[in-house]
Amino acid sequence: MGFFAPWFLAGIVAAGLPLWIHLLRQHKNTPRPFASLMFFERRTQSSIKHRRLKHYLLLALRLAMILLLALLFANPFIRRAPVPGSGKKLVFIAVDHSFSMRYGDHLERAKREALAVVPPNELAQAAAISDRVELLTQPVRDRAALEAAIRSIAPGDATSSYAEFARFLRALPKNSGLPVEAHFFSDLQKSAMPASFADLAVAPQVTLQLHAINENTPSNFAVQSVTAPARIFGNRKARIQATLANFSAEQSSAAPATTSRSCTLLINGKPADSKTVNIAANGRAEVEFNDIEMPYGANRGEVRIDGADPLKEDNRYFFSIERADPAKVLYIHDSRQSPAYFRAALDAGAESAFEMDALTPDQAVNTNLSRYAYVVLSGQTSGALETNLQKYVNGGGGLLIVLGPASTAVGRVPVTGARILEGRYSTREGDRYQSAAAVDSTHPALDRAAAFDGVKFFYAAKVEPAQDRVLAKLSDGTPLLVEHHMGEGRVLTLTSGFDNVTNDLPLHALFVPFVERLSRYLEGGETGQSNLRVGGAIELRKSKERGAAADVVGPDGQRALSLKEAASALTLPATQEGFYDVRTASGRRELIAVNADRRESDLTPIPAETIALWRGTGATNAAQPVNGEQPEPVPESLWKYVLVALLAVAAVESWLADRFTPAAREEPKPEVRRQAA
Amino acid sequence: MGTTQRFLNPSVLAGIAHLELVAKTVVDGFISGLHRSPDFGFSQEFAEYRMYSPGDDLRHVDWNVYARTDRCYLKRYLGETNTHVTVLLDASASMAFASHPTSKIDYARYLAASLEYLTHQQRDAGGLVVFDDEIRDFVRPSSRQGQLQRILHAIEKAEPHARTDFAKPFLHLQQFLSRRGLVVVISDFYDEPARVVNTMLPLRYRGNEVILFHVLDPEELRPKLKAPALFVDMETEDAMEVSPDYAQREYRDKIDAHIKGLRTEAEKAGIDYFMVETSRPLDEALREYLMVRQGRM
Repeated sequence: MGFFAPWFLAGIVAAGLPLWIHLLRQHKNTPRPFASLMFFERRTQSSIKHRRLKHYLLLALRLAMILLLALLFANPFIRRAPVPGSGKKLVFIAVDHSFSMRYGDHLERAKREALAVVPPNELAQAAAISDRVELLTQPVRDRAALEAAIRSIAPGDATSSYAEFARFLRALPKNSGLPVEAHFFSDLQKSAMPASFADLAVAPQVTLQLHAINENTPSNFAVQSVTAPARIFGNRKARIQATLANFSAEQSSAAPATTSRSCTLLINGKPADSKTVNIAANGRAEVEFNDIEMPYGANRGEVRIDGADPLKEDNRYFFSIERADPAKVLYIHDSRQSPAYFRAALDAGAESAFEMDALTPDQAVNTNLSRYAYVVLSGQTSGALETNLQKYVNGGGGLLIVLGPASTAVGRVPVTGARILEGRYSTREGDRYQSAAAVDSTHPALDRAAAFDGVKFFYAAKVEPAQDRVLAKLSDGTPLLVEHHMGEGRVLTLTSGFDNVTNDLPLHALFVPFVERLSRYLEGGETGQSNLRVGGAIELRKSKERGAAADVVGPDGQRALSLKEAASALTLPATQEGFYDVRTASGRRELIAVNADRRESDLTPIPAETIALWRGTGATNAAQPVNGEQPEPVPESLWKYVLVALLAVAAVESWLADRFTPAAREEPKPEVRRQAA
Repeated sequence: MGTTQRFLNPSVLAGIAHLELVAKTVVDGFISGLHRSPDFGFSQEFAEYRMYSPGDDLRHVDWNVYARTDRCYLKRYLGETNTHVTVLLDASASMAFASHPTSKIDYARYLAASLEYLTHQQRDAGGLVVFDDEIRDFVRPSSRQGQLQRILHAIEKAEPHARTDFAKPFLHLQQFLSRRGLVVVISDFYDEPARVVNTMLPLRYRGNEVILFHVLDPEELRPKLKAPALFVDMETEDAMEVSPDYAQREYRDKIDAHIKGLRTEAEKAGIDYFMVETSRPLDEALREYLMVRQGRM
């Protein structure tokens, strides 16, 4: 006898509770005053013994209840040899429908072979396997239902994960309470193996039968990756690089055979360019398409290998490129703060993605802020402009606040309202200058290049960050760059300035990439989700604070979100290859290209010995005796019997307790009435 | 009548705060129940005629008899003056016991107050002794104006306290009760019957008439227990676990024997004994008592 979950036996400790109630509490009898004990005698009363005896019975029942409850959770089992021919097992039929199963007629073959093993009158369950186990039926004896479920399996775009499948098989005997005979129909590709072989182990009650659906010499061409800019601005032309791969199982000592393949670039379904490349067996080849004209807006790009291929779905690679005019940036500054350095940095950016308007606060009050990708506020402001900026940020806009020395007098950061404790000036006598000490390089606004190396800061306003995230600090601990989230938007506060007075940052080479990074982040274009893999998450909103609906149209042209998901979901998993047209909660429209994981393109099968090892982790035909040998005993869960016993004990305890305790409660209590003095 | 009887219920009396009103309610209701019989009471009573002998006070000569018979006869009474009625109220801790709204001390208070009120109505001299293991309060018997109020005040003040010990207070009492009269003892008599009665005997020998009112709660007579309970003696604070079996059999036998013993000992000593349960209407106790006394007259 054993336990499936022995750690629940720790619950037996709770048996101490009734023991305490019966043995310790019993002696804590509530004293009842009586006029005189003159006529009572001190001796053990037989009735007390009798009553205690009854209580011991109650105690025993309560202890039994707790023990049975702990036992129930521990799920005891006994090993019993299966009766030959009794058919007491679960046949689990799993069909791999990952992306690689699109190769030739692999999936159809797998389904055909799976149909052949559906038992005529035995308990069986069907499932489709990819990166997760998708159960298609409950354990049933209905052959027609099982066959229908297997026939309904459609090819998927997800990767396969044998570790996930094995994990499921480890839990299946416990959940079903039966030994399992598992049939797995898959191409058994090597790339789906987990890093550790231990992850493949199945439970000892599982008889694993692996049905390989693959070719001896699979050959496959694939577009492995495409590098393309997510966005281009103005009149610039796109430069697209693609990596083509030739997966072949042929291992030859001679010089690898080279295959010539034609590769076509399609923009919005129309061929834009075509090139021919030679790809060696198991080799890679780079293709570059230069000076590609892109129409304005979101463009659907595709790099395709021409020619027949058993796995044609990986001969193409989707990508999206958005062409737009340079985004407008508004720089609000007073007469003391010059935008010259910032403008120069923006203009020097590699992509020239931004154009800057510089306005004074008075001019900016009546400006429609929604036209701008983000706003830079240099100095202080208040009143109507501050209100407009708050609305702008709450609606999803980005704001960069640059605090100059004048801000210290006001004592608060505009828009966010954070307190400014003091202005920290580096003195000539003391530290002379501060340098950036702690920089959060993982933040999208700060990459490694912008670590402020060698930058001298002579002034910084000491801002109380409260709940905000400090992205960079000076050597004395003064926050340098603080991020604050408001509604759907974000605010970055630079506690120093963009002039050449409070620091020498504008004179450093890193200033330009720093401004470029900041600009991308504040504009919201840093999400990097224009290209995703199947299984990746499409970000719909940053927080659940606002109920603005998101909208997603999937590759099949259908809306992918329910009403509830549209109003509240933060992300949506991408499950198919193709283009997802996304409108996020902040109103931003994105075209996201989703491609299958190219590890699926490598059809190299698992070595035979590994397959044998995997098969050996489970039982070896436990339910089917061979040559008259005694079959290995299989565990049989006893939880049902324990549950029945528990219910019976609970019923008796309830009846007994009802007989004892109310009588005690109804005892008349003599009242002692003492008159108030 | 119905209204009056309702007021004689101890639990109803317990709701009346003013003790004098309680006593008045009891006695008046009870008197109306007796149809105002002229024979009740324990005031100065005619006893006999005696031949005049030289030296006798001429004020006691019955001149009517002399006119009819030409012989001098003296008219003799039971008491030379009004009778002294002294109520001894036990205020030991055990008297605080109650299984219903009226505790034993409350019942004893009402009883004492009613007797004092009755005494006052008869123009007799009422007195009060409150005791536990010693004399806690003493109001000398008197028929002066305001005496009833003094006594009622003392009764009201009597709070259950300490243990019962008859010997010590009764020894002191003999010093105060110089004149013969009626002594009414109200207690739960948690002591040996012989010892209780022996304590009273000196009073009896001095010519006092002694009446014992044994006040007990129904729960003391017939304790109802359905499960073992830990009883704590209210006087000694000793604790003892008691089983329902014992309480239903042996205890009842013992308390019955105690009552019987007390009654027997009292009869032997010429002391009247009345057992009253605190659940009974108050006038029942008084009626029984007066009937007995009337029969003795």
